[in-house]
Amino acid sequence: MEADVDDAYLVRRAQEGYLDAYTELVSRHGALAYRVALRMLGDHHDAEDVAQDSLVAAWQQLPGFKADSSFTTWLYRIVTRRALNRINRSTTTNSLDLLGDLPGDDSDPARAVQRDLTVDAVTDAVTALPPPQRAAIVLHHFEGLSNAEIARITGSTVPAVRSHLFRARRTLSETLGGWR
Amino acid sequence: MTTPNDRTGDIRGLLNSASTELPCGADIDELLEQAADSNADQLDTHQQTCPHCQAALREFARIWQPVHALAAQPVSVPAALKSAVTAQIRKLVADIWYTLQLTDGGAIRIAARVVATLARDAAATVPGVRVAFGRHSHGRIAELAEKATLSHRHPHAAVGVLGRTAVIDLALAVRYGDPVDHVARQVQQRVIAELRTTIGVQDVTVNVTVDDVIA
Repeated sequence: MEADVDDAYLVRRAQEGYLDAYTELVSRHGALAYRVALRMLGDHHDAEDVAQDSLVAAWQQLPGFKADSSFTTWLYRIVTRRALNRINRSTTTNSLDLLGDLPGDDSDPARAVQRDLTVDAVTDAVTALPPPQRAAIVLHHFEGLSNAEIARITGSTVPAVRSHLFRARRTLSETLGGWR
Repeated sequence: MTTPNDRTGDIRGLLNSASTELPCGADIDELLEQAADSNADQLDTHQQTCPHCQAALREFARIWQPVHALAAQPVSVPAALKSAVTAQIRKLVADIWYTLQLTDGGAIRIAARVVATLARDAAATVPGVRVAFGRHSHGRIAELAEKATLSHRHPHAAVGVLGRTAVIDLALAVRYGDPVDHVARQVQQRVIAELRTTIGVQDVTVNVTVDDVIA
C-alpha cells in the first residue's frame, strides 16, 4: 500500500513522529545504504554496521532534513561520510568479496572460480583506491550518479569530482589491465 | 612510427606515457571515461575513422567489462538490517505503556506503539484508505506521567500511562473521488471498535488527518 506514496510524503509523516513511515523508508532504501557501504568498505560486517548506523542517524537527523534535496541524496551523503570515516579509522579490511552473498551460477566449478577471481580483482582494485577516489568511483560507476549529484553528496565541486574520477579510472585500468 | 596496436597493447605504457593524448590528438582520459561509462561503441565523427581511438576504446572497454559486470550484480541485503534499525530507533524513542489491568498476578501492559500499529492496520482495511500511519498521542500526558512514575515504573518503560484511555493519531491518504469525510468517520469507528475488542481500552480517541488523495 505504501508504494502508492512518494518518499517526500513518507519523510513528512516520519518527521511528525510516525515511526512506521520511517520504517517504510528503510524498507525502500536500506539496500542503497548497505550497497554503498559494502562497495566502499569491501567487508560485509563493516557494511552492515555502517548501513545500520547511517539509517539510525538519518532518523535522528530527520527533524533537520529540508526538502531541498531528495531523501536518497541525503541518505547517500550520510552513508558515504560514515563509510569514509570508517575507512579513515581502519585502513585494513578483512574481506574483499563484494559478491559473497549473491546467488551465483556455481554449478560449473571452473566458472565459479573465474567469477571469484574477477570479483576479487575488481574489489581489490576498488578498495585499494584512496578514499575520495573510491567514493567517486562507487557513486558514479556502481550507483550511476552524475558528477553533479556526487558533488552535492560529498560536499565537493564538479571539477573536483571529475578529477577524482579521472585519477581513479587510470589507477583501476592499470591494475585490471595488468591482471587480465 | 607508432601504430595503434603498439600503443594499446601495453595499457600501463599508454596510461603512464608523458602525453595525455593519442597520436591523433584525442584525450586519453576522455576516451577512458567514454569506455568506463559504457559508451565505447558510440563513436563520434572523428572516432569512426580513427584507428587509434577505436583501438583504445576497445582495450578500455575490455578492461572495464568486469567492473560493469560487478556493478550490474544485485546485492543481497542482510535480512536483519531493517529490524536492527527499528530496534535501535525504539531504544531512542521513549516508550509509552498502557497498563490496562492490575490483577493479583500483576499488570498487563501494552506498548503505545503496538496500539498505534493495530489502529493503523484497522484503518487500512476501510474502503477508500490508500495509506495509513499511526502514532500514539500522549506527548503531554506522557511527560507528566514520566515525572509521576519515575521512582516506581518498570525498568524497561520510559513512561507509564495508567488507565484505559487511548489517544491515537492517524494520518491517511485516501483514494481520489471517495468522500473524504465519510472515509474518515468510517476509520474512526472501525479503529475504536478494533481497539475496544482486541485490547480492552474503553475510552478511545482517534484523531484522523487526511493529508493526501491518491488516484
